[in-house]
Amino acid sequence: MLKMNNINKVYQTEMVQTHALRDFNLQVDEGEFIAVTGPSGSGKTTFLNIAGMLEPFNEGQYLLDGIDVGKLNDNQRADLRNQKIGFIFQGFNLIPDLNLYENIEVPLRYRGIKAAERKRRIEQCLEQVGLASRAKHLPQQLSGGQQQRVAIARALAGEPRFLLADEPTGNLDSLMARQVMELLEQINRDGATIVMVTHDPELARRAPRNIQVVDGQLADLTLYQGTQNLKAAGV
Amino acid sequence: MFEIKPIFNALCRSKVGAVLLLIQIAITTAIVSNAAFIIQDRIGYLSQQTGYPEEDIFVFHVMMFGQDVSLSQQYELDEAMLRQIPGVVDAAYSSNTPLSGSGSSSDFSLKPAPEEGKSARTSYMFIDEHGLNTYGVKLIAGRNYTEDEVIVTDNYDELSKVTVVTKTLLDELFPDGNGLGQTIYFGDIPMKIIGVIDLMKGPWLKDSRPDNVALLPFIKAGSNARFVVRTEPGQRQSVMNRVEEAMLKNYNKRVISRIRGLDEDKEQYMAEDTLMMRMLIVLITILVLVTALGIFGLTLFNISKRTKQIGTRRALGARKSAIISYFLVENAMICSVGLVIGIIAAVYLGQLLMQHFSIAQLEISYVLGTALCVFVMSLLAVLAPAKRAANISPSIATRTI
Repeated sequence: MLKMNNINKVYQTEMVQTHALRDFNLQVDEGEFIAVTGPSGSGKTTFLNIAGMLEPFNEGQYLLDGIDVGKLNDNQRADLRNQKIGFIFQGFNLIPDLNLYENIEVPLRYRGIKAAERKRRIEQCLEQVGLASRAKHLPQQLSGGQQQRVAIARALAGEPRFLLADEPTGNLDSLMARQVMELLEQINRDGATIVMVTHDPELARRAPRNIQVVDGQLADLTLYQGTQNLKAAGV
Repeated sequence: MFEIKPIFNALCRSKVGAVLLLIQIAITTAIVSNAAFIIQDRIGYLSQQTGYPEEDIFVFHVMMFGQDVSLSQQYELDEAMLRQIPGVVDAAYSSNTPLSGSGSSSDFSLKPAPEEGKSARTSYMFIDEHGLNTYGVKLIAGRNYTEDEVIVTDNYDELSKVTVVTKTLLDELFPDGNGLGQTIYFGDIPMKIIGVIDLMKGPWLKDSRPDNVALLPFIKAGSNARFVVRTEPGQRQSVMNRVEEAMLKNYNKRVISRIRGLDEDKEQYMAEDTLMMRMLIVLITILVLVTALGIFGLTLFNISKRTKQIGTRRALGARKSAIISYFLVENAMICSVGLVIGIIAAVYLGQLLMQHFSIAQLEISYVLGTALCVFVMSLLAVLAPAKRAANISPSIATRTI
């Protein structure tokens, strides 16, 4: 489904050069649910941005569903994002001037889906996240948890095979976080591949597969945990 | 593809900026279309045909203080001398200067005063038999006066028996086209129409009848006189430079003054209109620029306010072209409403101007033309900011701002 080979990403400013990802290798198979953890500044968000084709990388190869992303132009990347990837953002990123129905409609319009089909999908997704009766509400009329469910509905409406979630519960209290997590697990059971970046170890543990990004590289989780234990023991 | 419905709904939910902008567009359309119409009207007025080769004609004044000559004889000598100057086509005595804003007018009637008859407001000039040729106007029917028909006198006891009139005056008094040879009355003085000239403007271009002119063969030889001279094309300035010396050489107990081209007199008469036209051009230029800057600024503001939203749209699959078209469509929708209001306001303003300032009725083509220009201008003003918005990276969506 997703394969990254020796991806390097460098942020260059006049004064500083930051190696955000260094020879990053990862393979994600169809139907997986992966939690990506790591300390702040480790490169998690950069990984997510590159995986979602939101920003380019400097070196390496990234194949999404067998398509070499590095060879695509801006329009092709936009189309591929629209067709294959569903995004769930930490801050929900709903458009405040559009009601729930119109928010969910945004990616469907970009794909050129006909109005009747859009309506069917939006109603189905709103039903799935339990907000069917709130279609005409504006985002600011909803709680944080409800807004994130709308964002999930927006991600699902395009029927993507690949969901990228950036701290999906970061702005939610524990009860709402649990609800959102249960929803993601259900979506994964329905067949979508999910890669979720999170700070929350409890949430990460619920994912069948955990990976950790440290200093821009995929760390061996067992070795990393061992080192932490030794540090804690004062060795 | 153009997201018209969601853009419209979004605008309805957050309408303050849009309403301000559409008011600005409406005001611009209303004012600019009326100003453009007035400018076009003024341009037509300023550049109208007058019937004269203005750039080849000049006029000068003579004030005699010497009393040792016969004025009428002296003027005849002067005319003869002027016609001999190299480059001069013809020269004549003239009681006033056309196009200058100063002259004489009266009602010329089909019945002698005090009888009531059809009459027409007419400006008249006293000239001699060289007048037509000197002014360069075209005789289209009948004949010019003969030398014998020109009355030279120092009082008004006797006036001309014949006249040459413009076709416009003839048509007004004799709509059936049988005016040539008929008699018209200047007060109770009968005058036979012996000639018709094509086009000759009177002294007042703003008059209700600027084209009604009657030329009377009459010279009142007073101490003040005015001569008109026509030169070969390109010779006027050199003749103007020499005319004072030549006139004084002929007789020196007099003052020659106000040697001015006919076009200069006309320009002075039209100075207010020219100034008004220039001010209107400046006004509409500033207005259009301010509106364009308003649209430009509001779009930039909207973009900075919606940076995250634009990044999110890009992340959700919007191509750059979709972002550009979003802002263009949004602007076009605001602009369209503003233009509809502006068109109505323009027509209303045009009616007010027509009622209060004697301005011609605003032509709808000016309103529609202005609306189209404002629409295109607004799209151009929004294009650069929209392109800037399209270049916002989709990765902004994952940043916590």
